[in-house]
Amino acid sequence: MSALRPDRAMIEVEGLHKYFGESHVLRGIDLTIAAGEVVCIIGPSGSGKSTLLRCINHLEIPEKGNIRIDGQLAFRTEKNGIFRSHSNRAISAVRAELGMVFQQFNLFPHLTVMGNIIEAPVHVLRKPREIARKRGRELLAQVGLADKEDAYPEELSGGQQQRVAIARALAMEPKAMLLDEVTSALDPELVAEVLAAMRDLAAQGMTMLIVTHEMNFARQVSSRVIFMDRGVIVEEDSPARIFGAPRERRTRDFLRTVLDR
Amino acid sequence: MELFNLEIALRNFGPLLAGLMLTIELTIVVMALSLVLALLVALGGLSRFFPLRWLVKSYVEAIRGTPLLLQLIYVYYVLPEVGIRLDSFTAGVIALTLNYSAYISEVYRGGIQAIVRGQHDAAAALGMTRMLAMRRIILPQAIRMVIPALGNYFIGLFKDTALCSVVSIQEVVFTAQILAARNFQYFTLYTVVGVMYFAVSFPAARLVAYLERFSKRGYRRRRS
Repeated sequence: MSALRPDRAMIEVEGLHKYFGESHVLRGIDLTIAAGEVVCIIGPSGSGKSTLLRCINHLEIPEKGNIRIDGQLAFRTEKNGIFRSHSNRAISAVRAELGMVFQQFNLFPHLTVMGNIIEAPVHVLRKPREIARKRGRELLAQVGLADKEDAYPEELSGGQQQRVAIARALAMEPKAMLLDEVTSALDPELVAEVLAAMRDLAAQGMTMLIVTHEMNFARQVSSRVIFMDRGVIVEEDSPARIFGAPRERRTRDFLRTVLDR
Repeated sequence: MELFNLEIALRNFGPLLAGLMLTIELTIVVMALSLVLALLVALGGLSRFFPLRWLVKSYVEAIRGTPLLLQLIYVYYVLPEVGIRLDSFTAGVIALTLNYSAYISEVYRGGIQAIVRGQHDAAAALGMTRMLAMRRIILPQAIRMVIPALGNYFIGLFKDTALCSVVSIQEVVFTAQILAARNFQYFTLYTVVGVMYFAVSFPAARLVAYLERFSKRGYRRRRS
């Protein structure tokens, strides 16, 4: 993994619009994440943060706009305002390059921890099972769960499950990680272990786009913080500026309500 | 004359048991075929390809809207009029399989649709195509969930095969009919048949009840 490389855009979002029925949840998002950057997106619920993340790997299909992953136009091609979807295989191939971790973990309950981790490397990347297992063991050690490879997800605490989910995403050797409120479903005492795993990952130079409500984490780990509200990026800046001297009134109001608890 | 004649029962036990064996054979053949066909039907019904969905829906509704007895008669007595002549066992297998596949496909569909969105999302995010996700992630969970329901259909089928007596398959009921036509020992013969059915379905029902408890349990292996 490389360190920060501002010259290489890993994720580019351009003019993204998304509607859910009548409601216009993303209203023209432009965003570039460079290789090695750790970017946190903060903002009130309903501001479109999670939808943006899900659009980046095409779990939601935006009405307008383009996504580029590592310089390549992803998922579809626009011609004269008409979008032509790429083949299912091409869409899956781009997703395979992005690791995603969800609020609700979404581990596969019928597979063991190791089964969860090697499933996609073996069946999508066609890695030999033994090599996938070896890498799986390294990743489990990295997230502090070396002794859990034979456990089933339901035998684990929420924090452990989420660390397995992180390892599962890393097993695909992704170019970037998308983390969608990964600590929001956890009991408070389990949040720290997951944040620690994410901190390690950031320290290794992984490109990360993180939607979070953990303001201290965002302040300490991010290279950049984005504040979203009502479907637009209101402000983006260094964590020091966002948390110390935000320019926008909406950012100040939001930070006041979340930090004054 | 007593109602239940033990001597008659014993003397006819052999042929009736042979009939029961054919009943069981019919049940197993039809169930095996239906489990596979129903899965294809269920997947067709969930397809993104509209004509296939429509075809599957029509088939399921046609089967569910008509009696099984009629379907049996249709395959055996009506198809020959258009030149399709089947022996009675084949006709029985086809009619029962078409019938049970329609019902069981709905069971599968329910199981597949009960899998939460997050499982699809996780599989997709890992780069799995819809087909791979279905095979590796969704179906294994869905099938486990519907095993008790399938067990109940299995038992239901075992009893429904009695209808095949109308297409003269020599299963246990038809065997009893033939024997009774000769010796008029209806009470004895049909009581033996009833006991035979019960002797198979009751333990099978207990087994399904056990499976039900098993499928409600989590994926945790039992630790001794």
